[in-house]
Amino acid sequence: MASGSELPVNESSVLKGHEGAVLAVRFNADGNYCLSCGKDRTLQLWNPHRGIHIKTYKSHGREVRDVHVTSDNAKLVSCGGDRQVFYWDVSSGRVVRKFRGHDSEVNSVKFNEYNSVVVSAGYDRSVRAFDCRSQSSEPIQIIDTFQDSVMSVHLTKTEIIAGCVDGTVRTFDIRIGREIVDQLGHPVNCISLSNDSNCVLASCLDSTLRLLDRSAGELLQEYKGHKCKSFKMDCCLTNTDAHVASGSEDGFIYFWDLVDASIVSSFRAHNSVVTSVSYHPKDSCMLTSSVDGTIKVWRK
Amino acid sequence: MADVDEEDYVYFGTPIEREEDTSSRKRKAVAEAGTVRALAPWKQEVKDEEGRRRFHGAFTGGYSAGYYNTVGSKEGWTPQTFTSSRKNRSEVKKQSINSFLDEDDLKHIGGNALETSMQYDTFGFTAAEFARKKAEEEQKKRPSAIPGPAPDEIVLPASSSIGKKLLMKMGWRQSSSIKDSNAEALYEIRREARKAFLAFPSGNAEFELLEKDTVDTDEFPEMSTDVSCKSGNTPVYVLDPKQDMCGLGYDPFKHAPEFRDSKKLRESKSGEKNKGKIRMGGNLLSSSSGKYAPGFGIGALEELDVEDEDIYASGFFDYEQTEVELEPSTAVKEINGDNMLRLEHKKQASLLGFKPASDSDYKLERFRPPAIPPNFRPIHKFAVPLDQTLKDYNNAPPPDALRPEDANLRLLIDGSAAMVARCGKSIEDVYMEKSKTNPLFFFLRSGAEGHDYYIRKLWENKQKFVDESKQAEKLTSEKRGRILGERPLASTTFGGNVVSVKAREVINKQSTLGDTSTKPISLADLPESATKAFKHDPAKQERFEQFLKEKYQGGLRASGTISSTTTSAMSEANRARERLDFEAAADAIEKGKRNTQISAPSTDHAKDLLGFGEDRFVSSTFIENPETKEEATKAVYPKREQFEWRPSPILCKRFDLIDPYMGKPAPVPRPRSKMDSLVFLPETFKSTNREEAKFPVRGSLEASKSGLKEAEAEPSGTEADVAPTSPKNVERPVDLYKAIFSDDSEDEVADAGPTLNQAPDPVKSSEGANKTLNRLVAGDFLQSLGMELGLEVPPDNRPGPPLIANPISPPEQRESPKGDDRNNTALTEVEDTKSKDYGSTADYSREKKRSHSRHRRRRSRTPDPDSGSDSDSDGGHRSGSKRRRDRRDRSRNRDNESSDEASLYRKERRKKHRSRKHHEHKRKDYGDKHTDMKRRS
Repeated sequence: MASGSELPVNESSVLKGHEGAVLAVRFNADGNYCLSCGKDRTLQLWNPHRGIHIKTYKSHGREVRDVHVTSDNAKLVSCGGDRQVFYWDVSSGRVVRKFRGHDSEVNSVKFNEYNSVVVSAGYDRSVRAFDCRSQSSEPIQIIDTFQDSVMSVHLTKTEIIAGCVDGTVRTFDIRIGREIVDQLGHPVNCISLSNDSNCVLASCLDSTLRLLDRSAGELLQEYKGHKCKSFKMDCCLTNTDAHVASGSEDGFIYFWDLVDASIVSSFRAHNSVVTSVSYHPKDSCMLTSSVDGTIKVWRK
Repeated sequence: MADVDEEDYVYFGTPIEREEDTSSRKRKAVAEAGTVRALAPWKQEVKDEEGRRRFHGAFTGGYSAGYYNTVGSKEGWTPQTFTSSRKNRSEVKKQSINSFLDEDDLKHIGGNALETSMQYDTFGFTAAEFARKKAEEEQKKRPSAIPGPAPDEIVLPASSSIGKKLLMKMGWRQSSSIKDSNAEALYEIRREARKAFLAFPSGNAEFELLEKDTVDTDEFPEMSTDVSCKSGNTPVYVLDPKQDMCGLGYDPFKHAPEFRDSKKLRESKSGEKNKGKIRMGGNLLSSSSGKYAPGFGIGALEELDVEDEDIYASGFFDYEQTEVELEPSTAVKEINGDNMLRLEHKKQASLLGFKPASDSDYKLERFRPPAIPPNFRPIHKFAVPLDQTLKDYNNAPPPDALRPEDANLRLLIDGSAAMVARCGKSIEDVYMEKSKTNPLFFFLRSGAEGHDYYIRKLWENKQKFVDESKQAEKLTSEKRGRILGERPLASTTFGGNVVSVKAREVINKQSTLGDTSTKPISLADLPESATKAFKHDPAKQERFEQFLKEKYQGGLRASGTISSTTTSAMSEANRARERLDFEAAADAIEKGKRNTQISAPSTDHAKDLLGFGEDRFVSSTFIENPETKEEATKAVYPKREQFEWRPSPILCKRFDLIDPYMGKPAPVPRPRSKMDSLVFLPETFKSTNREEAKFPVRGSLEASKSGLKEAEAEPSGTEADVAPTSPKNVERPVDLYKAIFSDDSEDEVADAGPTLNQAPDPVKSSEGANKTLNRLVAGDFLQSLGMELGLEVPPDNRPGPPLIANPISPPEQRESPKGDDRNNTALTEVEDTKSKDYGSTADYSREKKRSHSRHRRRRSRTPDPDSGSDSDSDGGHRSGSKRRRDRRDRSRNRDNESSDEASLYRKERRKKHRSRKHHEHKRKDYGDKHTDMKRRS
């Protein structure tokens, strides 16, 4: 298969350093570095291309579930089981601020385009926005129309998009002040945006990925074959938007063709649940993390 | 007598010395002793025991001083050579107890000084201690290869204990055990004796041998069995044999004692012998229930929670253990085994000092479940259906019977009849069964005493029971309503196909609720087909009809009827869109284009309406239709819905976007449940119109109505221009200002209304105008507040003279402002009739109002902002009732009063500014046209 050859299916290096499960791994904006976080309450900064560990950030009181780095690589934001959102300085490794407000674990966190707002989604059925520029640790916006735990949040220039266990993908358009609810009927585990931001990929807990057209709310395609029933797992689109990638609970990685939804490639990557996948913004390179405590770098 | 008495007594002990007995001088001396000692030496006085100063002669100087009146030192005047203390400092004296004791004390103490004696040191402990002390002392004095104190094991007592000495004397040697040596010694003796016997004649030899045997077996049993002990000393037991590779004295578990236990356990497990003897110590990781992620503990202040459970350890993965000491492969097993053992321990709950029996006599006896007969059916069915029996008794009322005389029997019959009526035939059978043996139940048999009465009673009871059940199932809301004397709601039907029964229900409900007094006016003057433009959507159709009614009937209309037509669940944008649709449809009707297809954008409104109504009303006539339910659940995913959502102003700012709800009133909260709607409605009701007491529903509808107007007002150009210019307005809670100023603005409108009769629909437009006014007012309020608080308020850059000196403006525009105004009003009026530039009529009226207020304001314009001249000058214009309302308003917002005044003024100014700005805009347009025309001509 010609299209499959450019997929990152070869293990380039393994990043070991986390004790216990790695819950998320994320490339930074330019794809030169990556951040991982895990059950051992730490964040780790890596150079995945050289396979070296750079820094460890410790301050969380419980497991760390998500991390995001600003586009200028100056600040980090992380969240986790301790119900707080931590705002870090990358170079010094200190916590600049802790945003409180969530009543329960925080599942996902993101910066906005200008790195001025942190938006977090939590188990307390809410999405909260925090202002990085003020001294206040209180949220500037609370969206609590969700019916269940909010698993994943993404931001565009004008929108907040969140996937929720109540089976909805909700888009909050700040520009026109509307909430657009796309009901999928199955708990949404993770959402991911296509690189042109026209589509949203939602990983549902019925072991199906669903690709939605954002403007009309139509279901474009469904991707099946992997196993995703109980764990928080990530999905993503490749840098060219040609393929859809997701981990599986049995340690496999699956690649589907975006258009015809056929499985292009699948291989065993980890011994255990693949918690997170992150695709390089430009190259054909992918990171996967797993409960077995490893992060693997994949290249074509 | 007394003497005799005293002699008779025998005294024991020493009598207590009385205070008075001691001489006063002595007492004084004792008392002074302390104080005197505290004095400087040269001030102290020498005194004898009695406290007297020694007087050594009147001629030689009186009382004696120190050193017999020589000098204050021991040496006296003896000359000495000076020795500098600089070079040889006073050496550090070694102080002992002796240096503090004088001779007397030493004399006392000397006799009792204790010393240890080596003589009776039976076990050598003291000797060992002594030796260790010696060694330590020596260690201090000379450098040693081993730093720190010498380990105890290395230091051995130099002297042997008395016991050892004794043993040595008894023939014990260092390398043999005590018992052995004893036995051996005895054995030696015996052997010697035997040798001696052997020297005797052989006739005794046999006896001897026998004797020897007995001796061997009786006296030295250990000789034969315990040979190994013979030669060795007592074995040296080392408690913890060193088996690891750690350095000497290094304890790997020093800071983690919990792992020591697990290690011990592992060892004990590997060595199968002493299994189960290990008792787990206090283990930090121990938990009552199962799986927690290994490796990470939780903080001391946190509780072990559900969150801490290791969700990933679901079978197919084992953690790599990272403890230094444990082998990775066994680590997990270790912990599991650990838990198991602990569980077991808990289960047995053995007391300290007791051990659970390995095999107990007690055994829990278990019985097999009873065998269910094959023909058993788990559902019990009455032999005769209850209804059947009921029917039987319904039909044939038995003849009335005399009640039996016996009260007991009567009671019994009553009770059993009631029972049978309730539970059916089967219980009667039971009673029948009983009646065979028990004479009390004889009445059941026909012919017996009381049988007739029983039959009658039974029938009565059943009759009663049937009635009850009938009533219980038949009391519907209608009946209830009838009972309560309610007027049944007239159900109106709509022509055309209907989306769902439910929707119609809701509409019926609303229409009936909305105008119970007035019947919906049929638009007879309009062709039926045209007015039914929204046939497929009855809700919309109704709104459309209402719209037409408003449009063609015109005139003033109570605001209450407006509310009945619109629904609050509709979003503003939807409403605006619908409004446009309606306008288009109405136009089409007007122009006689019957065949135009009017596209209805979506059925969203109906859905919204549905959701809204469902929450609010419990339908009386509607019996839940399973089909509609089906439809709802069958809906295909993904389904898209849209709601209103308000981003906070600061969020918009941070995202660098314009707040879409800037300056708009607080949203009507989306009702989530019945409770929510109940809780929230009064709020909105209050905030929208306080004047009229209405249904809560109507209040919310009102709010939505005003929202609709708002949405209409939005697309106008001036709004878009004005809105972003005031970022200050972003953070204000609009409702507050509305509460303060809404009445005022109403007044304004009321003022504006009669003077401008040409306005097409003053009442309708007034609401939209209210909103914009509120917005302006709120901005002004903030400004005034800032002024009051002494903050710097950015000046209102109003367009001044340059406007008038606009070169493009035509000459007639450059006239006096009054003429200017007149022109403008004329202009707007002209535009009114023909232009389609504005989405709604609200803007026109606003323009009018502005120009009008400008007319008024011109007279009362004062530069002083604090004068409050506004209200004074307004007085002439206002009617009495308005003024009264004003006063009431003021009193309500007493604390806002001053700012109120100021802001009123400011509001006026701002209004002027707006209108002027707008005029300028118009003027430009006009000017352009003018020049164009000029050029053309």
